[in-house]
Amino acid sequence: MKPAEKIERLIKKSRYKASPDAYNKALGSFLQAVDEHERQKSALTEPNIRRIIMKHPITKLAAAAVIIIAVLASLPFIGGKKSGIALAQVLEKIEQARAYMYTMEMKMTGKLMPFAQESKILATHSDDYGVKWYWENTDPNTGKTTSLQVYLLPEKKMAITIMPETKQYIRMPFGDELFTRMKQQNNDPSEMIRQIMKCEYTELDRTVIDGVEVQGFRTTDPDFKGALGSDATSIELTLWVDVETRLPVLMEMDINSGEQMQVTGTTYDFRWNVPVQAIDFEPNIPEDFKPFSTDGVMMPGMTEADAVEGLRLFAEMTGKYPKKLNMMDLAQEIAALNNILMEELKKLKEEMGDTTEMTNEELRNAVMKKTESTFLKKLMEDMGGTTEMTNEEFRNALMKKTMEIMRPLQSIGFFYMTLVADKKEPVYYGESVGPDDADKVLLQWKVSDDHYRVIFGDLTAEDLTAEQWKEFEK
Amino acid sequence: MIQDRLLIFRCKNGCRAAFRRIYEMYESDLRTLAANLLDDKAAAEDVVHDVFVSFLKVVDRLELRSSLAGYLKTCVANRARDYLRTRQRQTIAVNNAEQVIPGNDGPVRLVIQSEELQKLGFAMSKIPYEQREAIVLHLHGQMKFKTIARLQNVSIKTAHTRYRAGLDGLKLILNSEVQE
Repeated sequence: MKPAEKIERLIKKSRYKASPDAYNKALGSFLQAVDEHERQKSALTEPNIRRIIMKHPITKLAAAAVIIIAVLASLPFIGGKKSGIALAQVLEKIEQARAYMYTMEMKMTGKLMPFAQESKILATHSDDYGVKWYWENTDPNTGKTTSLQVYLLPEKKMAITIMPETKQYIRMPFGDELFTRMKQQNNDPSEMIRQIMKCEYTELDRTVIDGVEVQGFRTTDPDFKGALGSDATSIELTLWVDVETRLPVLMEMDINSGEQMQVTGTTYDFRWNVPVQAIDFEPNIPEDFKPFSTDGVMMPGMTEADAVEGLRLFAEMTGKYPKKLNMMDLAQEIAALNNILMEELKKLKEEMGDTTEMTNEELRNAVMKKTESTFLKKLMEDMGGTTEMTNEEFRNALMKKTMEIMRPLQSIGFFYMTLVADKKEPVYYGESVGPDDADKVLLQWKVSDDHYRVIFGDLTAEDLTAEQWKEFEK
Repeated sequence: MIQDRLLIFRCKNGCRAAFRRIYEMYESDLRTLAANLLDDKAAAEDVVHDVFVSFLKVVDRLELRSSLAGYLKTCVANRARDYLRTRQRQTIAVNNAEQVIPGNDGPVRLVIQSEELQKLGFAMSKIPYEQREAIVLHLHGQMKFKTIARLQNVSIKTAHTRYRAGLDGLKLILNSEVQE
């Protein structure tokens, strides 16, 4: 061996290792600095939510989900803790209507929206066939209008969205839980009434709207905030009912979620007992329309198991759990997470240089080899059998697969929302409990008066009696 | 690389476990690098601690262009140089001579306790710092000459020459110890 090589080897050998004591002391000192820094940061900084948020389509979807929920949430208003006589009559009348239509106009502003959004929805609800919406969005700055046709078809367990401007469509199958919930909302008003009766409302003086004498009912009950994932700071819903027919004629809604989102909406032009046929709920997709890249991706599940899967995935990707589970905050965290993965893919692409000559299979293998991300590895593994795909097909398949893998993350929010909507009093500790906290409660909710369900930091779950739960709380 | 980026992402979100993970992953390499650059155990500890704390302060704005390891090693190299400049000023003020401060044993001598390495440590302290830096960054920092050149603000050729000259210098000092 040459002297220079021997010296090089000798130098490489000169490793330095701290004693365990010195190491622990140094690490402790650093972590102390971390804690101090985080304390100062949380006191001083306000995240630029808007910038992160609206950059990502997933956030837009989540925002859309919130809006849809807001619409659905407005329906169960009919009910109350008072005598309930007048509203009971309204319910009775609505129960008799097998199908009805209405028009809804909404305006959404706030940090969650990149610009004020004005929407007009023409809705048809049928107990037998499902729900159909014609949805028009107008950008008030440009006046540009885009439209969507949305079909929620319980019997087919499918949501279909048609986008005429881009000549595309998306089919989203949904699971049994969502199906059951839709059935409850569409076909079992008594179930709805049981839930609504828990809310407070006030009766307003009679007045005349469009020549019709109406009776008003207003609620600002905080229980309604739950329907939005508990983050709305205030909510006001006013329903005007025709005193003669006992059917709703106008509904006004005002939901304020602080700086994040403000929604005002008016629902009018109710038409009850409209004749509908199965063919009215058959989506008409023109032959030249193409499936959107996410076509066929299942809607997020809503069960405890789905939520646990989502929490596990989130922890794998970030090392911790989401800070909050309401839709808006969760959407921000998912968006930020998704952003970094997309950036990573972009970087990998840059690192690999010109890949135009690569086959899909070669590209897949190259990414698998280069990436250290378990998520990207899984994504690429699942992308097998792509040899025959065109580049565009490969890109679409990649996006679809990403949506599928990320799907459980959305389930976390949906599950939490069902707990809130079902008034199960969920309490979540994601800000202080992490994956290593096996003996700490991450999420708890009430199953019945004397039973609680608890998910721990390690994602194991247990049923506790009220007594056991109290013991645990100590 | 993605692991680094996810760790940084977690750090930006205030994840204490991520900071800890980064520390655990890189502390040993950085300590070795600093110790070999400075030949001073206590100073190496200080430099590494300072690097981690400054990382903590900049992580929110950090846009990683290469690996996190590369970034941290560059920080160590810069800090080590700053440290030496300060120490040189202080030492000159006390005693206008280049000498090993009493009780300030080099890590090579303290930890490895190999006679050969002790001599190497001594020899390393005798060659010019830029040569020593080139050698340590290349061999311990796994840095390419292109990176070292950028760090030393010289051409790649000069960085390479410094490395070679450093090895030649060591060979001369260790002449009687290193056998063919």
